[in-house]
Amino acid sequence: MFVWKYLVALILCASLAPVHASVRSEYEIKAVFFYNFTRFVNWTHLPDNESPLRVCVIGDNPFGDLLEPLNGRKSQGRKLEITSPDDVSADHGCHVLFVSVSEARNLSGIVDAAHEQKLLTISDIPNFIDRGGIIGYIKQGNVIRFEINLRVANTLGLTIDSRLLELASRVIR
Amino acid sequence: MIGRWRLRYWPLKAKLLFLTLFTSTLGIILVSASLIVVENQNYRQRLASELHVIAGILAEQSAAALVFEDSNQLTSIISSLRRIGTIRQVCVFDAAGSLMSSLNPPESVDCPSTIEPSQMGFVGDYYQLSVPVTLDNETVGHLYLISHLRALRAHIQTFIVVVFGIGALIQLALVFVAFKLQRVVSQPILALSGTAERIAQEQDYSIRAPVSGNDELGRLGTTFNEMIGTIEQQNRRILESRAGLELIVEDRTSQLSLANKELEAFSYSVSHDLRQPLRAIDGFGQALEEDCADQLNETGKDYLRRIRAASVRMGSLIDGLLVLSRVTRQPLENQRVNISEMLQEITEELKEISYSLPTDIRIQSGIWVIGDGRMLRIAFQNLLENAWKYSSKEAQRVIDVSATSDSRFITIAICDNGVGFNMKYVNKLFVAFNRLHTPSEFGGTGIGLATVYRVIRRHSGDISAKSEVGKGASFYIKLPVLTDQH
Repeated sequence: MFVWKYLVALILCASLAPVHASVRSEYEIKAVFFYNFTRFVNWTHLPDNESPLRVCVIGDNPFGDLLEPLNGRKSQGRKLEITSPDDVSADHGCHVLFVSVSEARNLSGIVDAAHEQKLLTISDIPNFIDRGGIIGYIKQGNVIRFEINLRVANTLGLTIDSRLLELASRVIR
Repeated sequence: MIGRWRLRYWPLKAKLLFLTLFTSTLGIILVSASLIVVENQNYRQRLASELHVIAGILAEQSAAALVFEDSNQLTSIISSLRRIGTIRQVCVFDAAGSLMSSLNPPESVDCPSTIEPSQMGFVGDYYQLSVPVTLDNETVGHLYLISHLRALRAHIQTFIVVVFGIGALIQLALVFVAFKLQRVVSQPILALSGTAERIAQEQDYSIRAPVSGNDELGRLGTTFNEMIGTIEQQNRRILESRAGLELIVEDRTSQLSLANKELEAFSYSVSHDLRQPLRAIDGFGQALEEDCADQLNETGKDYLRRIRAASVRMGSLIDGLLVLSRVTRQPLENQRVNISEMLQEITEELKEISYSLPTDIRIQSGIWVIGDGRMLRIAFQNLLENAWKYSSKEAQRVIDVSATSDSRFITIAICDNGVGFNMKYVNKLFVAFNRLHTPSEFGGTGIGLATVYRVIRRHSGDISAKSEVGKGASFYIKLPVLTDQH
């Protein structure tokens, strides 16, 4: 049994090796995740499938310019437009909202505003989803993972692909 | 060579059965083979499409895990395929082509990141395919799947067993049906040939073949029956005419035997009744000669002597006739007879009666024939007497008896050195009362050779003579070599 477990561990390490080999920063990975989140969420209230998807980053942008490559990239046929507005007002026409850790104190206000505008909220604030957020980054050891609050997403009319749900380390239903 | 001709000697039933069963077996085998080929084709297609569906679903499911680089999730997704025993390996690669996860350790089964199109599909004992993993029309990786075809082999083997099992069952049923159906054809033919054989064996032309149906066989039966009817009619006519003939023959035979009997009775009574007046003539002649000799002159005595000589000759004539009629009448009593000894006895007797001149008689010894001893003695006595008589005027008498035989006949030749006869009259030789010499030259009745002829004919033999005047005569008696009945 021991030998078997050891072998499995070895194989797992070997298969994970390429991922670790390319040394990438935490936010590089988070940026990739960010883009991928948008690919598995469906905005049912949007009029068509081609209108651009507006991604708003509120607070201090922890990505730096890592999100720049996403600008103009297509997700589910929609072009991403990345902006950094000062507040969460409806005027900005956001669809996705990244809440920076710097905004943790105003979180409840931001979340309420986001709920009103039916925004997909993403943040790496701890316990983000328990506080009304939809997708929250977490760190398990060295591995970046995420949690999803499906209940909120459903009330907002955002459909999240079950494949994404399966990857989440925690889902609030 | 023998095997090729053997079919010809098979009975009709066997031929018909063989033909039908051979055809049906061939049909069943062809159908089975094509079913198996089609099933193999179909099953391959089904297998391929199933594998494609599985790979498609897997690719769909693993898209998210691929983009999030979650190997654990990928492994758990593809490990669901472990339940499908025939799948040998599944590998998932990311967009860059590096291996993200595999069903079995890649060390045990290789995970090719790219496979050439020629190696796709059925290769050897495997089916392999590669499908891209797409998300929003963007290829985020690809999935490789290889499955071995054990299931296909097992399925086809089972299918073959089932198909041939059903084929065998159908064939069994067909044997039964063919056995029943061949009778439809073979039964009338067999009945016809059986009838023909029975008619040939029993020669009973009243038998008719059973006629069934209105096809060629039915017509054959009808024609056959008509033919037999014609034969029966002709036969009846022949039998009727034969019966008529037999009646006529019987009638004639009875008439003939009646006439024969009358003739025999007549000749017998004639011979007997003729003797009485003859004895009276001779007796009174003798009395006249003895008692009244002194009253007769020389002329009277001469007449009287002639009367007596004539009556003696008449007596011997009557004796000859009696012998002839006995030879004709008496039944044969066949036995082995030694002719040599018989001839020897006869010559001894002849020598005792007259031995006036030197006589040389040569008789071949050991001549045996089958026949009636008494009759043959009469015949040979006559022949030897003739030889003796007609050679009595020579300086020396030479008689030679020899025999030659083949498988069927024995020919006895009796040759003398006597006066012989003219071959012109050879036809008259064996006819009664025909004499070639005057009584003054040689005495005789003219019955002897007729008797000989009758005896030899009754022994189913033949007699012939050869002579030249003054150079002796030869008589050839040909008798069949019969097997000894004792």
